[in-house]
Amino acid sequence: MRPPNVLGALAALAGVAPFGCAQNTMYRWGGYDQALYDHYKNPQRRDEFVAKLSGVIEEAEAKGGLVPPGCYAEYGWARYEEGRGREAVVSFEKESKQWPESRPLMDKLIRNVARAKAPATTPAAVPASAVEKGKK
Amino acid sequence: MKRLLLVAALAAACAQPAKKDYSKLVSSNPRALLVVPVVNKSVDVDAADYFLSTLSVPLAERGYYVFPVNLVKRMLEDYGLADASLVHGTDPVRLCALFGADAVLFVTIEQWTAKYLFLTTQVTVEFDYVLKDGRTGEELWKDHETGVYSSDSGGGGLAGAIAAAIVAKAAPNYMPLARRANATAMAYPGPGFPAGPYRPEYRKDLPAAAAPEAPAAAKPAAPQASPAPK
Repeated sequence: MRPPNVLGALAALAGVAPFGCAQNTMYRWGGYDQALYDHYKNPQRRDEFVAKLSGVIEEAEAKGGLVPPGCYAEYGWARYEEGRGREAVVSFEKESKQWPESRPLMDKLIRNVARAKAPATTPAAVPASAVEKGKK
Repeated sequence: MKRLLLVAALAAACAQPAKKDYSKLVSSNPRALLVVPVVNKSVDVDAADYFLSTLSVPLAERGYYVFPVNLVKRMLEDYGLADASLVHGTDPVRLCALFGADAVLFVTIEQWTAKYLFLTTQVTVEFDYVLKDGRTGEELWKDHETGVYSSDSGGGGLAGAIAAAIVAKAAPNYMPLARRANATAMAYPGPGFPAGPYRPEYRKDLPAAAAPEAPAAAKPAAPQASPAPK
């Protein structure tokens, strides 16, 4: 009785192995879940989190696979939080293109970035004096 | 004896003769799933975020689009919903509308504990999963999983490295049990989700009873402008 039970337990526990490193997944996750976990465990190491997200994307792109759902957006959000709006928008657009389900949200986020940027760019972009000079 | 108990516990968790009613889930036919922050009923304050990190992968692997959980969490905080129990108390229709989701998964941690007994350490996780429809707010699917690991004295030869990982050092590692519970909860056939639109077997793996034939009441049958007096 005992040997089969032990084997059964081994088999069951083998299933405990983390996702992501297994070969039979649809997507190449590249440790996305681990990156999130580490981020929540050590929020002060934010740079590592952003670098890992970037790594997930690069790896999936390089291997010709689909970048898993949410990864472009997660990365874009991290850039948005850093005030790097242009990079954020690029990532949001990629998410939107690859995963149509995300489009309404991505459009909303892109509009947000544009709105956040507006106050900074408006004065520089169209100084009234410049326009007047141009006319003369 | 301990080993037998563990095996029994795992077997029970896996076996579930799942006669589940999939009709609502099938007729709702969600593509995009929102996973909101986890409500934590354990005393381990970190458990909610740790567990949140484990949900996207198994769910997306079932063939659904899963909204990025960290982005969702931060956006909800911006909306004034930093507390997960507030989020869970919010109308699912409203939540889904915020993100453009078809359905929302609410997960609650019931247990996330380690007990140190005389010669053994017992680690227990217990989760409650509920999926609600983004149009009607109706419950589409639910599941409940418990994972228990009990060590022998000294980690005991059972599954060497894995056992050691769970009860390593001062802090037990809950993550293997948590991932295992998710895998069981989402596995299909079983308690979990039929294939979503990104899996090749989408709509081909449905239980006979829940096969799509009847579009059910969820989707009002086109025009007819039913003057239905209530």
